[in-house]
Amino acid sequence: MAQKVLRWGADPSGGAPYVFTDPANPDRYIGYEKEMVDALAQAMGRRAEFVPSDWETLVSALQRNSFDVIVNGLEPTGDRAQQILFSKPYYIFQLQLTVRRDDNRINSIDDCKNRIVGTLANTAASRLLEQQGIPLRSYADPVGAYRDLELKRIDAVVMDVPAEAFYARPNTKLRPAGPPFTRGLYVIGLRKGDLALKTEVDAAIDKIIFDGTLENILKKWGLWNDAQVEFQAPIRSGTQSTKVEEYTSTTTTFNWGEALWRLTRAAAVTVLIALGSMVIAVVLGLPLAVGQWKGPAWARAFCTLYVEFFRGTPVLVQLLFLYFGLPVIGIAMPGWLTALVGLGLNYAAYESQVYRASLEAIPNGQWEAAYSLGMSPVLAFRRIIMPQAFRIALPPMTNDFVSLFKDTSVAFAISVWELATAYRELANASGQFLLLGLAVSAFYLAMSLPMAHLARRLERRLSNRTTERLVEQEAPV
Amino acid sequence: MIRVTDLRKRFGNDEILKGITFEIAPQTVLGVIGASGSGKSTLLRCLNGLETIDGGTIECNGVRLEAGLSHAEYRRRVKELRLKVGTVFQHFYLFPHLSVLGNIIEAPVHVLHSPKKTAEAEAFELLDSVGMKQAARRYPGSLSGGELQRVAIARALAMHPALLLLDEPTSALDPRRMNSLRALLRTFVDRGHTMIIISHSIGFLGGVSDNILFMEGGVAVEFGPTGEVLNSPQDPRTKDFLQQAE
Repeated sequence: MAQKVLRWGADPSGGAPYVFTDPANPDRYIGYEKEMVDALAQAMGRRAEFVPSDWETLVSALQRNSFDVIVNGLEPTGDRAQQILFSKPYYIFQLQLTVRRDDNRINSIDDCKNRIVGTLANTAASRLLEQQGIPLRSYADPVGAYRDLELKRIDAVVMDVPAEAFYARPNTKLRPAGPPFTRGLYVIGLRKGDLALKTEVDAAIDKIIFDGTLENILKKWGLWNDAQVEFQAPIRSGTQSTKVEEYTSTTTTFNWGEALWRLTRAAAVTVLIALGSMVIAVVLGLPLAVGQWKGPAWARAFCTLYVEFFRGTPVLVQLLFLYFGLPVIGIAMPGWLTALVGLGLNYAAYESQVYRASLEAIPNGQWEAAYSLGMSPVLAFRRIIMPQAFRIALPPMTNDFVSLFKDTSVAFAISVWELATAYRELANASGQFLLLGLAVSAFYLAMSLPMAHLARRLERRLSNRTTERLVEQEAPV
Repeated sequence: MIRVTDLRKRFGNDEILKGITFEIAPQTVLGVIGASGSGKSTLLRCLNGLETIDGGTIECNGVRLEAGLSHAEYRRRVKELRLKVGTVFQHFYLFPHLSVLGNIIEAPVHVLHSPKKTAEAEAFELLDSVGMKQAARRYPGSLSGGELQRVAIARALAMHPALLLLDEPTSALDPRRMNSLRALLRTFVDRGHTMIIISHSIGFLGGVSDNILFMEGGVAVEFGPTGEVLNSPQDPRTKDFLQQAE
């Protein structure tokens, strides 16, 4: 008979030291929780099978049966308790505040009241910051948070000690601000009603604590400390189980009013990014189009290269490059500006092609008529060619603008709090995927419908006064 | 006075104009005839600076355009020439995004920098003289071929050109309209304009021109007063062409 498996889910991206890709052997995953799950599975007589997943969606992935258990430094919070089942705890974690080495302003979490603090979304740290009313920026992984701290995009980072020890401690530009604080528990998450598996998992946790397997693993990863000694002592001395009540659990209840307010702010950011990048695209697209169309050879080559580069590579990659790559040469823009500029540069490539096609659609006779009236090329372009081309370009431009609106959602990759990010984080925190999804869709529609309506009206106004225009003129009767 | 001397134009290795020479007096009309491909249209496009000339000179009311000038100087003179020469294209090329009035005042306002009021008053006079005053606020898309032509003439005349070029003005007209166009053009000649008209309709040109130029293969075969050229052509090639045209 085939051995039973234990499918476990966790987020391996930036996931050290829990579970992450082995840098020396990128086809393998390593980490203390990886080793712990292997030990647990062995104790259960099963074979561990890792399912790489995404931190933010771990709970819903578990419910969708993508795997059997969550093992990812999961904290047993009240809102999660409504959705899933928890095992016994296996680790005591603490939080650590980190700042830049040369920054003397911040020495504890109380100094952060008016500073922006980075942390992972939907964690004990993020809930703690929210409770204390500290402005926070959430990240998908610790690497991004610490890098932005270095680049002064944020002022401090709060992270669970294991991650902090791995990512921040070796960085000479950063320093821990004050000692670790609060104590919380890591548990394993299971589907509701999966009680048989819970019994199995709890027994296995007791076993690897009792026989010292977990201690060895934690020691190997430098995570063994007094808190663990204290926590494991009762189990190892007898059969007494851990008293969960002794530890803080950073629960927040879901507040619809606050959620809608956050969505509204996120919508404002979305509008800002969309409008700003459209301005860049509309303005920059014109010289690109003219350069590619009538420019000298070098300008044509440059414009073609620009257009092909921005059309030929994913906008997500371009944003990541601008956000993480440019700081290497000293240009560190905040996330929203990066998204605005990145999408603007990207859509300029598309707009330039719309313009070029529209300009080329204007019959050469229009130029000649303008020239023969004594107009200079610039005047002819501005007064005669461009207004006609604009009418042709308007429908595809509207189309692009609507799709730009939706493309702002890629900004979540660089931690910008726009609508899609807001949806993801709020829905993951509350489990209200359906209702929040409807609310977010309503926000998107509320923004794109008026725009489409406006564009249609403008189109109608332009075409009304010049119906049947060129046809008759080209073929005189 | 308009004088063209040994005018040459090449497209690659093809010489389209092989040394054209003629001279016309102010307030006269020159009709240009010839088969398709004889170089008539190219001649017209050289006269308004849309083609760069490869040899010879064009003189028009004090502007002298000649081959071999520096690029900058050539462009400067083309600009001057275009202010002296107006063109009515075969397909008119009115600006579809501007009203009839807008088409006419566009260049006076933005090239000559005339005040808008002055330009509009003058435009209404011109529209009145071509019988299109009532259409001032309409857009080109809603006009017939004959109406477009009248607007195109008014648009060209609004720049006060010394010389007006008309490319195939009869191709879109029935005989009745041809007569009224002829009368219209003559009134403008009487008001001081000089014209060069290309047409396939020898009957039309016979009634409107003072002189006729017959072209063939890029050469000015025969040039002279209308009556002489049409009734007693000297060159056998002209005779052939006129016979076939009948």
